[in-house]
Amino acid sequence: MVLNKDGGLMLKKLGIDKTELCIILLTLTLITFPFIGAPKSVLLYLFLFFVYMTLSMAWNLVAGYAGLVSLCPPAFFGLAGYSLAIFTLLKFSVCVAIGVGILVAILFALIISIPIFRLMGIYFSISTLVIPEALRIAFFLWRPIKGTFHGGGAGYMIPVTEKLKMETIYLFSLFVAAFSIYILKKIKNSKFGFGLAAIRDNQRTATSCGINVYKLKLQSFIISAILIALAGSVFYIYQGFIEPSSAFNIKWTMIAMLSTVIGGMGTLFGPVMGSAFVTFLHFLLARYGNLSLLIQGVILVAIMLLLPRGIMGFLLGKSNKVY
Amino acid sequence: MMDWSVIIMGIMLGGLYALIALGLSLVFGVMKLINVAHGDLIIFATYLSYAFLTYLKLDPIISLVVIAPLMFFLGLMLYLYFFAKTSSEMPEAPLIIAFGISLILQNYHQILWSPMSRGLTTSYSLYSLVFKSIYIPLSYLLNFVVAIVIMLLLHIFLTRTYLGRAIRAASQDLKAAHLMGINTQKVFAFAFAIAMVIAAIAGIFLGLTFPFNPQSGVAFLIIAFGVVIIGGLGSMIGTFLGGVILGLAQTLGGYFLGSASQMLVVYLMVLLILAFKPQGFFGIK
Repeated sequence: MVLNKDGGLMLKKLGIDKTELCIILLTLTLITFPFIGAPKSVLLYLFLFFVYMTLSMAWNLVAGYAGLVSLCPPAFFGLAGYSLAIFTLLKFSVCVAIGVGILVAILFALIISIPIFRLMGIYFSISTLVIPEALRIAFFLWRPIKGTFHGGGAGYMIPVTEKLKMETIYLFSLFVAAFSIYILKKIKNSKFGFGLAAIRDNQRTATSCGINVYKLKLQSFIISAILIALAGSVFYIYQGFIEPSSAFNIKWTMIAMLSTVIGGMGTLFGPVMGSAFVTFLHFLLARYGNLSLLIQGVILVAIMLLLPRGIMGFLLGKSNKVY
Repeated sequence: MMDWSVIIMGIMLGGLYALIALGLSLVFGVMKLINVAHGDLIIFATYLSYAFLTYLKLDPIISLVVIAPLMFFLGLMLYLYFFAKTSSEMPEAPLIIAFGISLILQNYHQILWSPMSRGLTTSYSLYSLVFKSIYIPLSYLLNFVVAIVIMLLLHIFLTRTYLGRAIRAASQDLKAAHLMGINTQKVFAFAFAIAMVIAAIAGIFLGLTFPFNPQSGVAFLIIAFGVVIIGGLGSMIGTFLGGVILGLAQTLGGYFLGSASQMLVVYLMVLLILAFKPQGFFGIK
């Protein structure tokens, strides 16, 4: 994008840079889509893309920026979905239900941070793998309120889905995705972001430079939990049905990880490209079920071996270290 | 009145869990990699043995003669073509690759074997020994005996042979081992392959004990991880005791809270131990 001097000055006055301008323009274009009569299928494509993008943004924040390879996104995703289902069934408004979902995610992140933040590296990763599994069983056994269905893990219908139009859901997902990219952009070039990068590269050095490692890690974990909870709420507003084995499914980690790894970990636009690719892949392979996930696994391994820094890393070249 | 057979079954189940964790612990000790695909590789061996049982009517324990070398070879290949090839720039790369392999195996199993739950049913798998009021399934007893035998063999291998000593040296100090003329790549590859053989044995006894489905891998990975956490790394006795503790947690949890929540008890236990004693109870460190 070429800007003349005056344009550049104007942007400076408004306090935004070129990247932000691109994001804003793109968001504005995408907002018009439902109004100019874009077909439903396109909206659905984009909706899923936005959900995946938010998920991978959130995962990139902890794994790419802070170096904490967390395997517990499904926990926040499912908890937000369940909060949404339960509170809308209790006749609260959607906004309240989403708010509760975010609060639950924050609280849960705080609680699990006590055991898992004492661990480093690989221990951290595996301990986060336990959490969605435990939640899945917990929600199989525990039915907070009565729903249309009976029995252990029968799940709930989410009543709002029928009331909302696809266009509204689309706009909401767009808003969430734009919000996530805005947050990540702000973090990347802030003191907070540099602190996280320092922790990722060498925790001991970071500590001795006076960085409060625990606090920064926790903050990034909570922000990521909020974003994942938002993605989960949006997704389940569309889905209209929730049950434990899909809500706390490892596939959410997979989507976030695959998108981020394909795009390039620790880059701002890597996850955007990666999730576009993954969305495309999902629609392409939608008919094949398990084969689709198998192929995604193969791609994940292949990218890690051939292009360990993803598309963005490849584009930026070897000389320019992405991190 | 407490049912004693619950406790004895828990202890014997611990043998199986120790066996499941042994491969994970070996790979972690040497390569500092938690092989997230370990559970699925175990289930892979179980399905292989299931295939031999259904199509060739081969007893699972005898099929080990074929499956163990196969898994050894698979381990070598996995290490040489995947884990050895990762760039040193990204410390997370091996973990993500293991995660990818886990996904590939899970979905491969689903496609090939359907998501249905299956079991290795043999003439002796439903047989039980009865002493007065205590009742022990034969498969549990087998687990326990095999676990002890394998651990003894592994101990002898690690202390008495050149390769075993090299593996131990590499796990203690990689750089020093390298300077002593140990081919560390070779040691890593063999350690991974041996871990896979143990995984094959664990997989077959797991199939004799529990029903399994393509998703079981994650549950057994968590159990293996829990055992390693409780037992601490590098301690064979710790691993064994860790297995027994989790085995007891599971059977007692199932006894008191119902079989649906027995795994929840195990998971909560793993999280609690992580919270209060992350270095384990018997770790050398």
